[in-house]
Amino acid sequence: MTEQDSGDRIREEGNLREGVPEGATPEEKFIYHGVVHDHGRDDTVEFIDVVKAFGRNRVLDGLNLGVPDGLITMILGPSGTGKSVCIKHIVGLLYPDEGDVLVQGDSVPDMTDDELFAMRKKFGVLFQDGALFGSMNLYDNVAFPLRQHTEKSEDEIREIVSKRLREVGLGGAEDKMPNELSGGMRKRAGFARALVLEPQIVLFDEPDSGLDPVRTALLCDLIKEVHEENGGTYIVITHDIASARRTPDYMAILWRGKIVEAGMRHELFESENPFVRQFLSGESAGPLGME
Amino acid sequence: MVRSAADRAFLPAKNLFEQVGDMMILTGKTIMSAIRPPYPYGGEFMSQFLFALKLCWFPLLISTIAFGYGAPGVQAANFLTLFGALDRLGGFFVLASIREFAPWVDAMIVAGVAGTAITADLGARKIREELDALQVLGVDPVKNLVVPRFLALMLITGLLDIYALIFGIFGGVVAEFVYHQDLAGFWATFFTNASVTDLWGSVVKTTLFGGIIAIVCCYKGMTASGGAAGVGRAVNEAVVIAFSGIWAFNYVFTQTLLATHPEILVIR
Repeated sequence: MTEQDSGDRIREEGNLREGVPEGATPEEKFIYHGVVHDHGRDDTVEFIDVVKAFGRNRVLDGLNLGVPDGLITMILGPSGTGKSVCIKHIVGLLYPDEGDVLVQGDSVPDMTDDELFAMRKKFGVLFQDGALFGSMNLYDNVAFPLRQHTEKSEDEIREIVSKRLREVGLGGAEDKMPNELSGGMRKRAGFARALVLEPQIVLFDEPDSGLDPVRTALLCDLIKEVHEENGGTYIVITHDIASARRTPDYMAILWRGKIVEAGMRHELFESENPFVRQFLSGESAGPLGME
Repeated sequence: MVRSAADRAFLPAKNLFEQVGDMMILTGKTIMSAIRPPYPYGGEFMSQFLFALKLCWFPLLISTIAFGYGAPGVQAANFLTLFGALDRLGGFFVLASIREFAPWVDAMIVAGVAGTAITADLGARKIREELDALQVLGVDPVKNLVVPRFLALMLITGLLDIYALIFGIFGGVVAEFVYHQDLAGFWATFFTNASVTDLWGSVVKTTLFGGIIAIVCCYKGMTASGGAAGVGRAVNEAVVIAFSGIWAFNYVFTQTLLATHPEILVIR
């Protein structure tokens, strides 16, 4: 791509973000220009100029992103680029140093503790290793949110828990303790627990980490099936390209704390951005190196 | 270079002050959470209380008898023999054991045995993201995890102080026997010097020690990071900070008690 082409492209998009490195070449500007393709829906979650630093390391560096309502959105990016930090901002486990995070229009950092706990009831979260409670068996883990937040009888709870465990292929494993389960089973159990309150928004923190390709594909299919059945807004964090090809409706590529490009899946797989092309094709040649 | 040198000099101090500030905030939140309804922590409180009791009673028994006999017992008896005043050992035990050694050994055992177990437990849960999962499931970890441990450690440390007093004084009694002294003089000077203020001062002080231990150990556990090594580091730091906090608080408490109750300064 010539310098002229890059510059023209940036002007066409009219979306040059602040934070482009000083002295950046047109190629670098093009990588950072932060094109966000319109998705035609309301945003369920919005990041507005979010900055988050740990010590001197600015993990999120002026992040602007809208997560469309009712779709499966995948946030992709190289390791250590702030993807999990995004999830923790959405549910108020971390707060931005600058900027704002909105969930259904409400500012998360401005919420009181009580408002925050009430807001979190809208969410189901699948953590990287399932985050099952080690002192409880599988049944009690999945039943925990129902006992905590509903007045359902134990019979009703048993019915719901059994249904959810069957959905994720863990029917009959109710009495097992988390340390008796494989990594994939723990993730599926975590998925069942995340869904048990039928949340409006479900977050998946690297659901494919530590899984073989077949089980990753099965888990991705399961996410799609459950989404089709229940609806809601799903946000999946990953760096796995195979998952990106089969799971999301909408995708956002994150690098060095900023959005490189966001759009519907086909728009990103057809992108001309050299970083996006390199990342989604998994090639070694391109702007992303080992640094 | 100047900035790097300044960072090396001041960052540890800054981190320390930040941590102390965070622990103060956690203390405030814990007290508010304990007072405000609902009160879902009864079961966890009982479980933590019994857990601490089960872990601490035997090490405390051994430590208080050995320390009471070895330090104030034998050493003070040896010194008092010079003046032919071995009967004063009972009076000395009021100063030594009730006011200082028994609370001190009690707090060391509770911090070293129960406190470290709390840090390791919460640290492991933090590493496995269980604490994040709890919060996301709408469960307040302060109310459900910190408050029951805070109340249980306060109660157990206060109650174990009485236990430590009894066995600490028993160490003094053993020292009297070793020096072939009958116990009449020991008990006479003991009860002449002992006061109700000494007893409640000791129990209140250790109850507050329990609060300090609980806050430090819960804080270090809940902020652990860096995998299994991080949990080990958190346990180590929790013990060091809890001991330092106890000693600093002991100085303030003792000075305040002596200033507000000058009659206990008089040796009879």
